[in-house]
Amino acid sequence: MGASSLIVLICAAVAFSAGGIAIAKFMVKGTKNTAKGEAYECGIPAKGTPWDQFNVGYYLFALIFLIFDVELIFLYPWAVVVKSIGWPAFVEIVIFMFILFMGFLYAHKKGALKWM
Amino acid sequence: MMVLIILTAAGILAMFASVFNGRSVVLPVSLSGLFAAGYFALLEWNTNTTYFEAMRMDNFAIAFTVVCLFAAFVFLLLYHYMHYSSDVHYAEVISIILFSLAGVVVMVSFTSMLMLFLGIEILSLSLYILAGLKKKDLLSNEASLKYLLMGAFATGFLLFGIAMLYGATGSFMLSDIAYYLGLHKAVAEPFIVTGIIMLMIGLLFKVAAAPFHFWTPDVYQGAPTLVTGYMATVGKVAAFAALVRVFQLGFSPALETYQFLFAAVAVTTMFIGNITALYQKSVKRMLAYSSISHAGYMLIALMAANEVTNGAVLFYSIAYTLASLLAFAVVAILQQKSGSDEVSVFNGLSKSSPLMSITFAVAMLSLAGIPPTAGFFAKFYVFSAAISDGWVWITVLAIINSFISVYYYFAPVIASYMKKGNEEGIVLATPVKVLLAIIALLTLLIGLLPGSLSYLI
Repeated sequence: MGASSLIVLICAAVAFSAGGIAIAKFMVKGTKNTAKGEAYECGIPAKGTPWDQFNVGYYLFALIFLIFDVELIFLYPWAVVVKSIGWPAFVEIVIFMFILFMGFLYAHKKGALKWM
Repeated sequence: MMVLIILTAAGILAMFASVFNGRSVVLPVSLSGLFAAGYFALLEWNTNTTYFEAMRMDNFAIAFTVVCLFAAFVFLLLYHYMHYSSDVHYAEVISIILFSLAGVVVMVSFTSMLMLFLGIEILSLSLYILAGLKKKDLLSNEASLKYLLMGAFATGFLLFGIAMLYGATGSFMLSDIAYYLGLHKAVAEPFIVTGIIMLMIGLLFKVAAAPFHFWTPDVYQGAPTLVTGYMATVGKVAAFAALVRVFQLGFSPALETYQFLFAAVAVTTMFIGNITALYQKSVKRMLAYSSISHAGYMLIALMAANEVTNGAVLFYSIAYTLASLLAFAVVAILQQKSGSDEVSVFNGLSKSSPLMSITFAVAMLSLAGIPPTAGFFAKFYVFSAAISDGWVWITVLAIINSFISVYYYFAPVIASYMKKGNEEGIVLATPVKVLLAIIALLTLLIGLLPGSLSYLI
């Protein structure tokens, strides 16, 4: 891999994205009907206005879920090597889990898990 | 390592104090955490302890760690006395500061590119949150979002550069990269060039050097003023230390090749920062542009890349940190009183609070580089580093820039001494007074006895 391959890659990337846009411009026929303006073209017709107020409390659950999801993924590579490393690996993962648990405890104490 | 553990533990403790109704213990816990961290950092002076081949606490790292710890100490005290009763998120702010310091320690002591990335991210994420501290303030929200989006973009560049260098050299270790570059004379290989330039873009964004400075004024203005002070000192100093470290330990064989790039960035940064600062009405924006121009001065020392570079950068960082802390502290206090950050709030300050006006004047003198303040010798060391390698033209341009900067630095000082304004006395808590006085005295003291500091590392 030299300079030329890098340039080829960059050109290919630009051509790929530009090509997609260009092809779409030429191919698309201008069909117009009311379903086009819907948020979900092929679903249940939307009712009411999209600007309604709704409770966003759920995003906290999502955030907390994300943290523990990432933690879980981290456990997989650990599980692969834990036998070969031995006790130090175990102690380290316990510390890691402990810090995350503190985060969970904090979220719980702050009432992030309460349904509003 | 002990430093990192202490800072993280103190951060967690401070965070938990808030949920267990222990607001009053937050400050003692965090301050003792800072002092313990500083103590353990200084214990490793001259030892060059290496941790897991990823961090090395050499004198360079320790010196910058201590500078940042001091800045955080000042921030914590000021924050405590200005927001203890008014801010619901008081404990969280302090714990985020402590977490960000863990990032700082990693950033200044890394020997592996992965640790560089981790450190920068830990610091940046904390700063993104801190910038949006005033949840109901639109400007603060804008600052946080802008900083996050642009910062994430810059981090992308940084990571891409690291990946390129890993692909070319087969290692994340700075010493391996330096070895590879020296062995193969490979500084002009396309992957290396792309990698180093990407890495430069990422890091220059973090130190707010032109042409990657556009986020700075908006973020600095929108963020709460004390936080801006923290960003402008700790954020910039740590990022600059990382930049110096990565180029000295990793790319020293390539530095010759990139010298002109650095020179160009330094000159643009100084001119853009200083000239734009002339037109600012808001003191915060003015200080933001001034912080951009200071990144330019520091880049000159980095570009010179000789044996005095480290000393010059450290000295400049100390002088800049002290002066900026003072300036932002005074602006923050005035802004809390009057709700505005225009130059006009300084009118009559010498009557309403002589201490604040004199300390602010010292800070401005130091930033402008006028003796006998620390700022003068900071600029002196930077310029002499450049001149000893024959970079005369860039030194001349830098001195011209220093002259330009005098104009805007003196505008608030003149307002506070010459113009009449609200003469109602401003009451400050005694520790805040002592703190302001100590920082101002330190600035003067370093300006009078500069010798010992410049040969520290």
